Amino acid sequence: MDEASANWVTLLSGNDRGGGRVVGRTSRPEQLAWKVTLPESIRTSPVLADGALYVTSLDGRLRVLDANSGRERWSFAAGAEIHSTPALSGDLVLFGCDDGAVYAVNRTSGQQQWKAQSEGAIWTSPSVHGGVAFLGTNDGVFAAIDVAGGRLRWSRRFDGRMHSTAYVTATHVYVGCSDGRVLALDAATGADAWAYETGDSVTASPAVSDGLVLVGSEDRCFYALDAGTGALRWRFEAGLGLASSPAVAAGKVAFGGKDGLLYVLSVADGRLLWKSESIRPIVATPVAGPRIVCIQGFFGTTQAFDLENGKVLWAAELGGSLGSTPILTDEMVYLATYPGVIYALR
Amino acid sequence: MDRRRFVLGTALGSLHLGLLGMPARAAQGEDPVGSLKIDIQAPDVPASPLGMPGLFPGRVIEVAHAGALRDGRVFQPAVREMLDRGMQALTGEAAAGDAWAKFVEPSDIVALKVNPSGTPTTTTSIALVREVIRALGGAGVPNRHIIVFDRNSNQMELAGYHNLLPVGVQVVGLDRRWVVGGETRPGYDPNAFAEMNCFGERETRSYLATIVTTGATKIINLPCLKEHNASGVTGCLKNLAYGCFDNVARTHLYPKTYTNPAIPVLCTTAPLRAKAVLHIMDGIRAVYQSGPFAWNPEFVWEAKTLLMGTDPVAVDRIELDIVERKRRDVGAPSLFDHSPEHLGTSAEMEQTAQKNRFYREPAHIATAARLGLGRYELSQIDHRRLQAG
Repeated sequence: MDEASANWVTLLSGNDRGGGRVVGRTSRPEQLAWKVTLPESIRTSPVLADGALYVTSLDGRLRVLDANSGRERWSFAAGAEIHSTPALSGDLVLFGCDDGAVYAVNRTSGQQQWKAQSEGAIWTSPSVHGGVAFLGTNDGVFAAIDVAGGRLRWSRRFDGRMHSTAYVTATHVYVGCSDGRVLALDAATGADAWAYETGDSVTASPAVSDGLVLVGSEDRCFYALDAGTGALRWRFEAGLGLASSPAVAAGKVAFGGKDGLLYVLSVADGRLLWKSESIRPIVATPVAGPRIVCIQGFFGTTQAFDLENGKVLWAAELGGSLGSTPILTDEMVYLATYPGVIYALR
Repeated sequence: MDRRRFVLGTALGSLHLGLLGMPARAAQGEDPVGSLKIDIQAPDVPASPLGMPGLFPGRVIEVAHAGALRDGRVFQPAVREMLDRGMQALTGEAAAGDAWAKFVEPSDIVALKVNPSGTPTTTTSIALVREVIRALGGAGVPNRHIIVFDRNSNQMELAGYHNLLPVGVQVVGLDRRWVVGGETRPGYDPNAFAEMNCFGERETRSYLATIVTTGATKIINLPCLKEHNASGVTGCLKNLAYGCFDNVARTHLYPKTYTNPAIPVLCTTAPLRAKAVLHIMDGIRAVYQSGPFAWNPEFVWEAKTLLMGTDPVAVDRIELDIVERKRRDVGAPSLFDHSPEHLGTSAEMEQTAQKNRFYREPAHIATAARLGLGRYELSQIDHRRLQAG
């Protein structure tokens, strides 16, 4: 496991959006291994680690399911609905909640270790680096919290909602804000390093690759900014707004658009390598590996493509609304839906 | 408690209403499908001069702006200008702030009813919602007193209301619980409902939103200018009725729909009627076929206009004429057409304007006028056209 995965620095671990797993599988799943229907909707992405799926849901529960059988190992009841994808750090699983709290729960026992209260609902996923969790709230607050005990290190208030999950390095935090800016903050103090103003809200979560901060904006443009200075390196214009967070693999960056297309660009220069046929609006984050990219369209379609040329490898029609990131392992494919169903396909 | 019974012939349209518990007279001149009985129960809210048809019955302001779209994007500064000009024309006030103050006070809890049903280009535009929020702020209503809502939280999320609107504004999908003053409430009020049996369905009640019954003191309606495959158009009336009550899809059973009379009757429910004080229709992009979702961009046109008024019937009547005119221009059948040869599947409806899933029922707008919600006849409508920009 590389440093990024070990420290879980961004939504679904590293830039591959693979939940810490290497995405190698390209073959079509052939059969249903198991299916679990939760009492309420899933608006987040499951996270896979150590043979367990960590799933948050609108019934206010974090559940841990056995990845092989779907059997529930334990669940934890938070104070309200959960729109925050969980993050893992050592023995803890962290997530935000609509009650404005960040919860830290022991991964083995399911016991709450601490709870840190903020003001607005938290829809972002905590990003952990160097023992600190970084996350934003719907009320425009962005905070740094000690993973060890939940103590607030620093917080900032912005003029827009924070729906973007931060990407954290040893020195900087990169995050989007619905005030239209991509922000680089000093990770130790929260002070401004730089800010880049796009034409509309930035609700997607940035990825960082090859010294570039990569993120889309509701202004329809996808931006590559110099991670050190915030200078624009290249920009690509899609057909409609971009709320899908990018995934990076093999020198390519993939993201969906509200125009229904999956775009794959060259990280180096922003050149369009290929785009998919429309699968209707996409707001979910893709998962990408060296040979595959897989994404959910909002109206029920999950499609996997050859990352190199855009050839469709397989597709699944699950029904209901879709907004989560698939998990692809060598053995299984895990998919979650708004109706609250988790599919494990073999 | 407001308890009333409606019995309405669905086509030829005799109409009776009375207090629940009193014998309802049989409707006259019923069509072959028969009449629909609707019993309403809701908290009694005193009638307000601001309630439908509101301060300016029959007045409709149509504001166009050639620059409302720039490179295919809704241009927010143009929307601001359209909104300000329209509000001034509607109220006769010289200043937009004074115009808004006719409808809201700083202490109000203002609910904005949006339309998120459609492709990302055919929902109530984020730019319009942002500008209404800005204008409400100018009238002293803080963001924390503003709720943006619709029935479906998934559609709200897709449209971006949850993450693109200013900090402090509460965004609620009625299929979820919501929190006000630290108290969690269900989306729908168990004590406020419409009882009707359309096609023998098992669940015959449609419940009214708690935002309408107890959450908000004022409602500003922000529908879209769109054709609707069942009701003819989805305008002010449908955006309110089918966006504030649950379990309403049951009023359609191919090819028949009971949107007339269900839409206007639901709009007469006391809290909804009293609190809906202003209607601003987003016609920056408009739809003439396969609404409300309009997956085929061929059926979306850039009308670059807003329709504004306090009278939802009058606004919807003008909308109806706009959509009818557009359909005539492209050779599509009238919304009033009930020819069997124009019936088709959903797929056909999305491919050609010659086909539709239902016999549309745009006469719901006229029914609303007969229920006292506003004016339908063009001779009674003061339609003013403005050009901004």
